[in-house]
Amino acid sequence: MNERAPIVFVVDDDPSVRRSIKRLIGSVGLQVELFGSAQEFLLSKRPDAPSCLVLDIRLPGISGLDFQRKLTEADIQLPIVFITGHGDIPMTVRAMKAGAVEFLTKPFRDQDLLDAIHTALERDLARRQQQAEIATLRTRLNSLTRRERQVLPLVISGLLNKQIAAEIGISETTVKVHRGQLMRKMGADSLPELARMAERMEIPATKLNFRRE
Amino acid sequence: MISGNAALTGSYDLPQVALSVLIAISASYAALDLAGRVTATRGRAQLTWLIGGSAAMGIGIWAMHYIGMLAFRLPVPAEYDWPTVLLSLLVGILCSAFALVVVSRRRMGLTYALIGSAMMGCGIAALHYIAMAAMRLPAECRFDFRLVALSVVLAVGFSFASLWLAFYFRDEPQNSAWRKLGSALVMGVATSAMHYTGMAAATFIPAAPALDQSHAVSISSLGTLGIAAATLQVLGLAVLSSLVDRRFDAQGLELALTETRLELAHVARIATMGELTASIAHEINQPLTAVVNNGNFALRQVASGAPNLEELREAIAEIVNDGTRASAVISRIRALLQKGAPDRVELDINEVIQEVTILVRHEATLSGISVRLDLAADLPRILGDRVQLQQVLINLVINGIEAMRTLTDRPRELLVKSAKNADAVLIQVQDSGKGLYPEQVGRIFEPFFTTKPQGIGMGLSISRSIIESHGGRLWTVPGSSGALFQFTLPTDGNSVS
Repeated sequence: MNERAPIVFVVDDDPSVRRSIKRLIGSVGLQVELFGSAQEFLLSKRPDAPSCLVLDIRLPGISGLDFQRKLTEADIQLPIVFITGHGDIPMTVRAMKAGAVEFLTKPFRDQDLLDAIHTALERDLARRQQQAEIATLRTRLNSLTRRERQVLPLVISGLLNKQIAAEIGISETTVKVHRGQLMRKMGADSLPELARMAERMEIPATKLNFRRE
Repeated sequence: MISGNAALTGSYDLPQVALSVLIAISASYAALDLAGRVTATRGRAQLTWLIGGSAAMGIGIWAMHYIGMLAFRLPVPAEYDWPTVLLSLLVGILCSAFALVVVSRRRMGLTYALIGSAMMGCGIAALHYIAMAAMRLPAECRFDFRLVALSVVLAVGFSFASLWLAFYFRDEPQNSAWRKLGSALVMGVATSAMHYTGMAAATFIPAAPALDQSHAVSISSLGTLGIAAATLQVLGLAVLSSLVDRRFDAQGLELALTETRLELAHVARIATMGELTASIAHEINQPLTAVVNNGNFALRQVASGAPNLEELREAIAEIVNDGTRASAVISRIRALLQKGAPDRVELDINEVIQEVTILVRHEATLSGISVRLDLAADLPRILGDRVQLQQVLINLVINGIEAMRTLTDRPRELLVKSAKNADAVLIQVQDSGKGLYPEQVGRIFEPFFTTKPQGIGMGLSISRSIIESHGGRLWTVPGSSGALFQFTLPTDGNSVS
């Protein structure tokens, strides 16, 4: 996949701590952007690239944990590496439960920060890839005809063509044609693969009320 | 026994009798006063007071008796044997010393008082009769033993009363002067009563002088006045020096009070710093974090084999800056924790406000409070103690922060403002909390008054005394939204450049 260069956002109210972190992260060839407050970060225009957030948990105006929740609510899915002067256990637990990658106490070992950032970026990369794949699948899904779209859940629930034909009231031959088109358009080589794709797009398999009589 | 000769009829010179009573009262007053000094002092000073005091008192008692005797006029010339006179004076002084020792004891039981007064009474009676024995006149002296016994009983009784009064008045503060005077009056009159009873016990029968006349001297009326004047002077001096000594003691007390106040302010500062530990740790940890990061960066650069020298230089320069910054925070805290004598220097109050803000800003951040500064430019300099003024500001700011911690219905904001105000600078600390209740406004500066669950209630009281010691005023303004505390500091007219 053709991804852009990853970028690390750093939010800390202390300028000299900010600069030192930038230097450190920059030294391993990563791009860094600095912010003095949560507000500043929210107002910035962030490039569309794999990225992560290095966030001081004590920020003027808003606590890092509240900020984390706010980001989740706004559907900004950035892996967060928390840094703090004195983290207590409840705070750490809360942050980690809310999906933080790491919780580092200042002053931290440089390697710990860099490792955490790499983990965070990998996580973001994976997420982005997944999202990209789903986006591709959705495009393919959108290319299906109404009939093909109707057949899909029945196919992945393991019904035979004959059963599908009976269910939607068309001929078995027509079902076979739809099924072939569907597999081709979705780029699936086998029924299990199609089922996995459907699952990723959260399309449920339809269990039918077939045994009607 | 010579009989047939009629007894000599004597008469009393009333002014001299009055003088003797006056001296008795003065001596009693001095005794009460000196008893207090002997009790209050220790060691060498106590010994000095004891010796000086008993000399003054002894002379007083002795003079009273002689003037009382001289007031008794007989139709025959009376002379006095001076060695015997000196002996009676010595008895008087010893007797006084004994009395002072008794009353300056920590406790005085009834038995102790009885034994003391018996000895003292006998001493005074001895003085009286030795004095009478010093008389050289062409007459024989006979005593009515019932009256002699009565005079001894009176002497003992009077001693008991004196010891008791002296014991109870010795520690009384200055306002007891009237009571002391009253007791002195009672004691003086009692002493005189004893003396004149003793005189009445004696009957003089004309006879050839039987006693040794070689050391006899006659005393003129002028001599009497001299004795009286000298005695009153000695007693006056004793009381005066006791007064001066007391003043010095009071001064020492004031000094101790100032010392205690400083100590208290220091303890309060330490307590406040205790509340600020998170803030302080943060202020030191931030630069240290930067130092560690920059140090690691430098190590990585060097390890890479081809360091970017410009970047390396920048990182090292930052290490130096951050190290200096951490050290500045530490020295500021050290100054606040140290117990130093107040040091008045010319200073810019805005600078003090900014220094305090650095110490408390993290505390504010933890409580979700934004601190806003509105500092007037071109403020005149003030003369003050930097640490003490920081203490006042920290106190007011922390109070504001604590008042807003539970606030949910409006923004938590703390405003610190400085402004010029006639010949003073005005500093205001305003929070957006619930404010003070009217019943709190009147009491908020009282020691031990607190609205905080963990407060000891000394902060504002100490703050006020600090501001007042700077010639300023600290007060709260009711009616504003949130609590508003403000103080003034007089300026010396110079402007901050």
